[in-house]
Amino acid sequence: VTPFNVFKTLLMKTLLIIFGLLLLSLLSLRAQSLRVSYYGETITHYGLKAAYEWPVWSYTKQRNQAQKKLLFAPGLAVYRHPHNHIGLVFSPELTYRRTSRRGGIFEAGIAPAYFRYFLEGTTFEVNDSGELTRVPLAGGNAFLPTVSIGFGKDLSIRRQLPLSWYTRLNLMQQRPYNTSALIRFSLEAGVNIPLKKP
Amino acid sequence: MKTICKFLSIACLLALLACSEQDAQPVENTTLYLRNKGADMPIWVRGNTQSKKIVLYLHGGPGDCSMCYRYYLKGIESEAMVAYWDQRVAGASSGKVKESTLRYAQFNEDMQYVVKLLRQRYPNTQVYLLAHSFGVELAWQFLTTGNNQQLIAGLMVVNGIYSFSNWIINVHDWALREARRQGNAEAESYLSAHPVPPENAATSDWEAVYRWMYKLGGNPVSLYDDGKYIINYAFNSPNTALAQFTHGKAYSYYGNVESRLFEKGALLQNVTIPVGLFWGVKDGVVPLGVGQATKQLLTRTRVTEVLFNESWHEPFVTETDKFRQAVVNFIR
Repeated sequence: VTPFNVFKTLLMKTLLIIFGLLLLSLLSLRAQSLRVSYYGETITHYGLKAAYEWPVWSYTKQRNQAQKKLLFAPGLAVYRHPHNHIGLVFSPELTYRRTSRRGGIFEAGIAPAYFRYFLEGTTFEVNDSGELTRVPLAGGNAFLPTVSIGFGKDLSIRRQLPLSWYTRLNLMQQRPYNTSALIRFSLEAGVNIPLKKP
Repeated sequence: MKTICKFLSIACLLALLACSEQDAQPVENTTLYLRNKGADMPIWVRGNTQSKKIVLYLHGGPGDCSMCYRYYLKGIESEAMVAYWDQRVAGASSGKVKESTLRYAQFNEDMQYVVKLLRQRYPNTQVYLLAHSFGVELAWQFLTTGNNQQLIAGLMVVNGIYSFSNWIINVHDWALREARRQGNAEAESYLSAHPVPPENAATSDWEAVYRWMYKLGGNPVSLYDDGKYIINYAFNSPNTALAQFTHGKAYSYYGNVESRLFEKGALLQNVTIPVGLFWGVKDGVVPLGVGQATKQLLTRTRVTEVLFNESWHEPFVTETDKFRQAVVNFIR
């Protein structure tokens, strides 16, 4: 470890923080919204998800008044697979959303999500002397790259309700899982509440 | 104000009722995990605690699942506790597991700790093994190691093997017999041209024989034909739905190398605990001939034989009630 390397690391970290703050301040100037939904891993393993949306880019087509947006939406989902595990999914999503003139929504997204799970059961680990010792909050961490596709309706366009509903399907790959990887899927159904006008 | 008082009174009453002491539950509903060499293996214990008996289900495969068969085995839970253990990598087991741990020796070590854990958690309780297919290989390995028999009250063998050579010879015989009975000339011709003599059994092309056995109806039962089972499995059980399809390749060393060396025949004479041989008679995967050979080798113990005439490889699926009764009779 040389002083130059330390300086380089510090500089990189500072630049990253400055870049992050700049991005956030730019994003905060735009309309933001909160997404709250039911989150069902394999549909029935129930949970909740919340995500905060910042538009990164938006465009309205003059011909049909369809609005296109690219959103950055960090979200957190918590769910329970009874007698198996409790899962936490932190997903910094990048979502493309198209809202038609009549309010119909289509969206697709990707997220390099982080997955933390806690085994739902009393866990015993075999220690070096071959004895079984209890492990509190046993679980694991995994990378969970995700692709999503969904649809919904913006109710503010025709019904004057400042709200939209949506549902989306997420396809995820848990890595590592045992000797390889595991495909998971989840269903989201919820509402999108605008927080700040553009 | 009056409404609020009423609401509070009802809430207090409900809270008091909720605090009343409850009787100890006679039904066990516990989830345990064993963490060993990178694997987190679930053991779901369900059933009658007062019986002071646990039936440890050793699933097949390798790579099958345990809890996924509760749909068919839960009838046993009124008579005893059933411990559904998913072996490493299989079923809902998770963690970060090296493929090199998928060996008999490691499965045996895991099983040692599963039995130890159950005996620690449920003292003064007898542990029985209910072993199916690959689980039978684990059971024989476990019971012929050290003093392990002292830990187990009895073993129920369901369509499983004690020797690779004996198994493939029996599968070949079964397939050839069926080919002749069904008039399948192509199968008969192939199987006649490729006999499996005992001295070459371990190096034979077992997969080709196995494929013919399946084509000739060696096990036409598929759990996936039962819609109700699928829905329960995927959406309403502790099973990890798509995990079954993630690890097929991980067992290639087992299939190509290790299973071929499996031979416990000479050690079965040392088994002294009661053994039940439960066999699906129509099975081609592990034919009845294997069961008969097993019985001949168990010379120092009491052997109970129950044949399931309408069943193939999983008699608990096809003759569920009769199977439940056989287990209950054995552990009584």
